[in-house]
Amino acid sequence: MAVNWAQVLFNSAVTGSLYLIGAVGLTLTYGLSNFPNFAHAEFITLGAFVGYLVAETLGLGLVPALVVAFLFGGIVGILCYRGIFQPLAKRGATIIHLMVASIALGFILRYSIGALWGWSPLYFSTAWPSFDVGPLRVTALWLWLIFAAVSLALIMHFVLVKTKIGRAIRATSSNPELALASGINIDRVILITWFIGAGLAATAGIFRSAGTQIWPMTGWDIILPIFAVVILGGIGNFYGSIAAAFIIGLAENLGVVALMALGLSTEYRIAIAFLILIITLIVRPQGLAMLFRRA
Amino acid sequence: MDPLVYVLDLVVFIGIFSIVSLSLNLEFGFAGLANFGKVAFVLVGAYTYAILSQIGIPFYLCLIAGASISAIVGFLVSLPTLKLRADYLAIVFLTVGEILRLIVKSEDWIGGGVWGMTVSPAISLAGISARIDTLVNIGLVYFCLFICFLVVQLLTNSPYGRVIRAIREDEVAAEALGKDRAKYRGQMLALGSAIAGLGGGLYAQYLQFIDPYMFMPMLTFTVWIMVLLGGPANNWGALLGAGLVMLFDRGANVAKDYVTLAIDPSNLQYIMFGALIILVLLYRPQGLLRESQVKTKAMEIVRRGRDAVKNK
Repeated sequence: MAVNWAQVLFNSAVTGSLYLIGAVGLTLTYGLSNFPNFAHAEFITLGAFVGYLVAETLGLGLVPALVVAFLFGGIVGILCYRGIFQPLAKRGATIIHLMVASIALGFILRYSIGALWGWSPLYFSTAWPSFDVGPLRVTALWLWLIFAAVSLALIMHFVLVKTKIGRAIRATSSNPELALASGINIDRVILITWFIGAGLAATAGIFRSAGTQIWPMTGWDIILPIFAVVILGGIGNFYGSIAAAFIIGLAENLGVVALMALGLSTEYRIAIAFLILIITLIVRPQGLAMLFRRA
Repeated sequence: MDPLVYVLDLVVFIGIFSIVSLSLNLEFGFAGLANFGKVAFVLVGAYTYAILSQIGIPFYLCLIAGASISAIVGFLVSLPTLKLRADYLAIVFLTVGEILRLIVKSEDWIGGGVWGMTVSPAISLAGISARIDTLVNIGLVYFCLFICFLVVQLLTNSPYGRVIRAIREDEVAAEALGKDRAKYRGQMLALGSAIAGLGGGLYAQYLQFIDPYMFMPMLTFTVWIMVLLGGPANNWGALLGAGLVMLFDRGANVAKDYVTLAIDPSNLQYIMFGALIILVLLYRPQGLLRESQVKTKAMEIVRRGRDAVKNK
């Protein structure tokens, strides 16, 4: 069987871009609030459905859908932090309590979405016809996705390095007490991070579902590779997660080629991200962090 | 359905879930390990039982094999994370639950893939009514529950149990006293998984049918509600939690047929479960029953000394 390696590389870039947009928020909130927010999956799903509402039900198209989903997701993220995680942390909840609470929140969001939109898959009506560029088969959606991920990386780099809020986020993430002592409004920093993180997750939901289907498990379907990206990149490390997203994207797509060659179900692709996760934990639990500037 | 059988059926379910809830209580309540993949070990126990019983192995050996294989899987999975923070273990176990379900779903030769497989009951007597059959199951399940409860209760109140709790409270201090936290955690996860595997075997033989969709992450979460509601680190609490949650679950199933709601009740039930857990964590994180105080001679002397000072 001839494998189109250029196509595999391109697909890896597409997968990696999706994982990057999905993982940035998770890694930043994980680093700042010190617990993995499992409800991040539902922020992704919620974004997909809000995007569907704007793009399909209201018929406004993809760009307004992305904007509205980002804002809506961000607001939900802030509400969840203010309403659940912050009060819990104030009452001295352990990391396990916070994780369980995030799973509980995930269930509330997921089944609320199920109650509102139902459990049968929905489809975006916009067709994304594929066209050939040299040896590659691409769709406009994939190009948009890669463009979005690259812009995200550049903008986040600029924000984290050049702006006041970006420096405050990095400072709070690496040493909250010192940041507080330096006059940084930690509470505001955390809220802004949750807003951006949840908002980005919501846009990832649209990118994920615009080409395929959308249902209440949309986010859960990709949360495990996203966790692998976060751990491989180093928790709270933005630059690490860029590298990790593309490593896992590449591994998954190479893995799919291997799985097909072995005659196994391609559903095992999530097992590939899992293998990388396990190897990371054994060899280098801090992930790729420290190879990159901490952010 | 015969109403009495319905009640007996509920009693069986409470028994099976009490076993699984005890196992999570051992891991989370006593050892402070966040096992978010409980369903994986129930699955291993269930499929092991189903496959072995098909080739004619007696049921008690199938149950023991399910528990043993589950223990081995639990131990192996825990290895990369034993020295790391609680969140790594949680993520790895959650993923294992998903992947094991994926495997039994994709590989038809294991257990019929998505079509599932029928399982022969542990004890089948010719020509008995549904009532007697369920009663026999109650006997089997509660016998296993009794054994598990005894093991867990004795273990957690032994010197070994105090080491486990000490590691949960302060792993650095425990390590300074020469207690290898990785070793103890591995043992706890192996034992916890064995008990969950036993629960899985009982589950499979009672329902007489298994398929991958019975082992969704929701099952793990249901068991977490039982432990958190009942009272972590209290074995009676684990039983109480299992009873309450199963009653609610079954009650909601019955109510579904009689009450019309604006929201689909199956969605509403999970929304309520989620809200309940957040409320418990916010307002009563110790659960309904508190962890009982450690009672040893040394503690007794310390307490008496403290009282004497106070009364002076």
